[in-house]
Amino acid sequence: MNLRLFRAAAAALAIAAPLAALVPSLASTQQFDRPVRIVVPFAPGGTSDILARLIAPKLSEAVGQPVVVENKPGAAGNIGADAVAKAKPDGHTLLLMDIGSLAVAPSLFPDLTYNVENDLAPVGMVMFGPYVLAANPSVPAKNVAELVAYAKANPGKLAVANSGVGALNHITAVALARDLGIEWKNVPYKGGAAASRAVVSDESNVIINGATATLPFVTNKQLVGIAVTGEERLATLPDVETFKQAKLPLSDAGTWQGLLTTGKTPPEVVARLNAELNKILALPEIKEKVAEQGGAVRPGTPEAVKTWLTTNIKNWGDIVRAADIKTN
Amino acid sequence: MRIVTRRRFDWPDLLFGFFLIAVAAGTFAATWRLSGGTAADMGPGYMPRAIALVLLAFGAFFAARGFRRAYAGIERVQLRPILGVGVSVGVFALLIESASLAAASFASIVIAAVASRESRFFEVILFGLFITAGAVLLFVKALALPVAIWPW
Amino acid sequence: MELFDNLLLGLSTALQLNNLIYCLIGVVIGTAIGVLPGIGPIPTVALLLPFTFGLEPASALIMLAGIFYGAQYGGSTTAILVNVPGETSSVVTCLDGHEMAKQGRAGPALAIAAISSFFAGTVATVVIAVLSLPLAALALKFAAVEYFSLLVLGLFAAVILAHGSVAKSLAMVFLGLLIGTVGIDVNSGIARMTFGVPALADGLDFVPVAMGMFGLAEIIANLERPEVRQVVSQKLRDLIPSRADLKAAFPAMVRGTFIGSALGVLPGGGAALPPFTAYALEKKMAKDPSRFGKGAIEGVAGPEAANNAGAQTSFIPLLTLGIPANALMALMIGALMMQGIQPGPQVMTEQPALVWGVIASMWTGNLMLLIINLPLVGLWVSMLKIPYRLLFPAIVLFCCIGTYGISNSAFNVWLMLGCAVVGYFFIKVGVEPAPLLLGLVLGPQLEENFRRAMQLSDGDPSVFLTRPISAVLLGVVAVMLLAMLSPAVLKTRKEALAE
Repeated sequence: MNLRLFRAAAAALAIAAPLAALVPSLASTQQFDRPVRIVVPFAPGGTSDILARLIAPKLSEAVGQPVVVENKPGAAGNIGADAVAKAKPDGHTLLLMDIGSLAVAPSLFPDLTYNVENDLAPVGMVMFGPYVLAANPSVPAKNVAELVAYAKANPGKLAVANSGVGALNHITAVALARDLGIEWKNVPYKGGAAASRAVVSDESNVIINGATATLPFVTNKQLVGIAVTGEERLATLPDVETFKQAKLPLSDAGTWQGLLTTGKTPPEVVARLNAELNKILALPEIKEKVAEQGGAVRPGTPEAVKTWLTTNIKNWGDIVRAADIKTN
Repeated sequence: MRIVTRRRFDWPDLLFGFFLIAVAAGTFAATWRLSGGTAADMGPGYMPRAIALVLLAFGAFFAARGFRRAYAGIERVQLRPILGVGVSVGVFALLIESASLAAASFASIVIAAVASRESRFFEVILFGLFITAGAVLLFVKALALPVAIWPW
Repeated sequence: MELFDNLLLGLSTALQLNNLIYCLIGVVIGTAIGVLPGIGPIPTVALLLPFTFGLEPASALIMLAGIFYGAQYGGSTTAILVNVPGETSSVVTCLDGHEMAKQGRAGPALAIAAISSFFAGTVATVVIAVLSLPLAALALKFAAVEYFSLLVLGLFAAVILAHGSVAKSLAMVFLGLLIGTVGIDVNSGIARMTFGVPALADGLDFVPVAMGMFGLAEIIANLERPEVRQVVSQKLRDLIPSRADLKAAFPAMVRGTFIGSALGVLPGGGAALPPFTAYALEKKMAKDPSRFGKGAIEGVAGPEAANNAGAQTSFIPLLTLGIPANALMALMIGALMMQGIQPGPQVMTEQPALVWGVIASMWTGNLMLLIINLPLVGLWVSMLKIPYRLLFPAIVLFCCIGTYGISNSAFNVWLMLGCAVVGYFFIKVGVEPAPLLLGLVLGPQLEENFRRAMQLSDGDPSVFLTRPISAVLLGVVAVMLLAMLSPAVLKTRKEALAE
């Protein structure tokens, strides 16, 4: 047993060696005395799941304990988040998910079984992936202006596919319509893949969805790219304007993947996890794999995530209440 | 626990009919607050209530038929198998998260064995230990099921 | 000629030693997890995903695909031997497969399942090679309207499934449809009949329901009878199917393969429809439909072929359009992207060695599965020699661990327990649970697609008749309805009433 601990500690030291200044003492390696779980509140295969499985082995080397990924799907991520919120507050139970879903949860689900801001402690941001607004080629529009003009001339004719009632891309579509004064049908599907399929087959006509899922269809001309969120245009779609350039609201909507742990976890444990996470995100191979998921790594502090959550709980909440989106 | 059977009634039909009626009634009770809408623009309550209505009709049909038809009995219900298997599964559900895989597996095997009159005490204990070890190796070591192996 | 070149290119990839080895690893793992109830290919593939990062893209995909179709092989073993359907596709195999095992014909049942799967796998490989592009185009023609009509057709097939009274199986279909509505309604986002339980928000999981109603309920009922010592013959003659068996099974295999190949391409209904439809067809075609449910070999061969063919053709939308037909294909897309390959139609032209290599590997993989499984038949059959008093606690435990593992929640174990009690009740009152399971699987999609079709057509129901594919499908339903009301069916109903 001692030998194993020693070896694990040695491994952790060896990994961290180049970053000598940041190397935690041997004592802090022992902050972790049993296996660490990363809970992914969705079924395997999604972005959160893949990120967790990328990070897990690296985190395991860093803390000297096995790190297992546990899929706890159900209720729009609330079952998994609830399990983490109610775990022992010692940093051994982590939650990796799109924190946008966490930010809308309080306004969508009035009887939520946990408090997003108090029962969960942010560890750090992991990645940001922009949204792509795209349309089936049957829609006569190549950019935002043409799309808006078409929608205004044909109210209620366009059907926007989303990945479920109350999903972020649903709320985004609702907010866009209100802001632009257009009317389109919001058609819910079971998940993003089904929504994409429906737009490719022209069952619905427009989609707002993560770049990962949408880009291949745009590059293959099965869909037409209209606009992207995020600060700049995508390298793969240089002709597609950003939301900001097109003067659309919600220009920073997208997939914000964050890592959290149980609320009331001691700050030094959170700090340690944050340091390890940011070191992992700095690894070139991780950067590369995250880019393949259609986004970029976003190392940052726990406080930054906390601020992000507070702001977005309010902003998304306003939109949800204004549009009267209900799930219960 | 013997179902008292009179000389009349087709009991399987009668019971199945009552079961369907109960399910339909439960559905109405659980969905009365959901909006129904119309066939062209269904609300969330439309489909469950429409199906429940059909089940109610089936239930009434089977129950009525059961009353009218000649006697047909039901094989005697034995308590031992259903309790043994039921408690075994329930104990597993309770122990898997609060205790561990090893504890849940062993308890589940031993309790399930009670369901059969032919189980022998020492054989079950040995077999339980053997299967528990196998389950831990297979599910935790090989398939990486994220559960604790030991209760401590 | 181009097809020939493509297949040759594929074979040259698939036959590389390292790819053969990864294919073997994949199908062996797949068989193993298929045999274990509950643990399905999806968590396994997710688990193995990180290990494939270091592999060549072709090797990674060949291995992951092997797990998928390998699991279809393995699943039938558990269904036949102990009546536990670990996956949607093996429910139908329980009906006649387990009945054969009870009659001491487990060997031929297992062998026929393996042979049918191999046959279907081989044909499906050719289908993918020849027809992927037209089939993918057809799949894209299926919108909400067409899906709805197809699902109606599928549900009518369910009525033919049960071998008891038509009225009872219809009632069971509706019961299945009802419990299928539990959970968050896709169209409005409102939770229905969840009784405030968050674990119910996504509806009842299929696996605990199936394992409770088939596996556990059957165990409870078995324990009420005094143990019958099963004579398990180890003589080779009794393990292999006879000439008559093969003759009876072959046409069923061909029909099953055809049905599976066609339906597998469609997203969504992919896993459930092919075996159920194949079974219904076999029963309809049989001279003596009463043999079904009592160990008819066609009832094993048809569905097994359909389910394997469907599993393979479900790769078509992925390979040709970049669209996943089911959750597992979505994982495959994840695997591709981790390799730096953007899935989509361009993959076929840019990475022909990869695409055709994977297609060709399905054939080598199926051959391996046949070679692995046929000798294993003897081993599996000898498992039945374990006294039932020891075998059943182990099955109970594996069912528990398997259901727990689906989403790491004890709730599913409780659900399985509840379904076991209800399933036991069904056995006592003599109704079959299979139609209920089909209703459970298809019900949510039926409602979802109907309401979506209405939303998109602004509430105009005539779309179901004005769109050609949908009109044809509903026409078939109408013909079936007429046939059901015909004298032949009236006669069977009389028999049912007389029983």
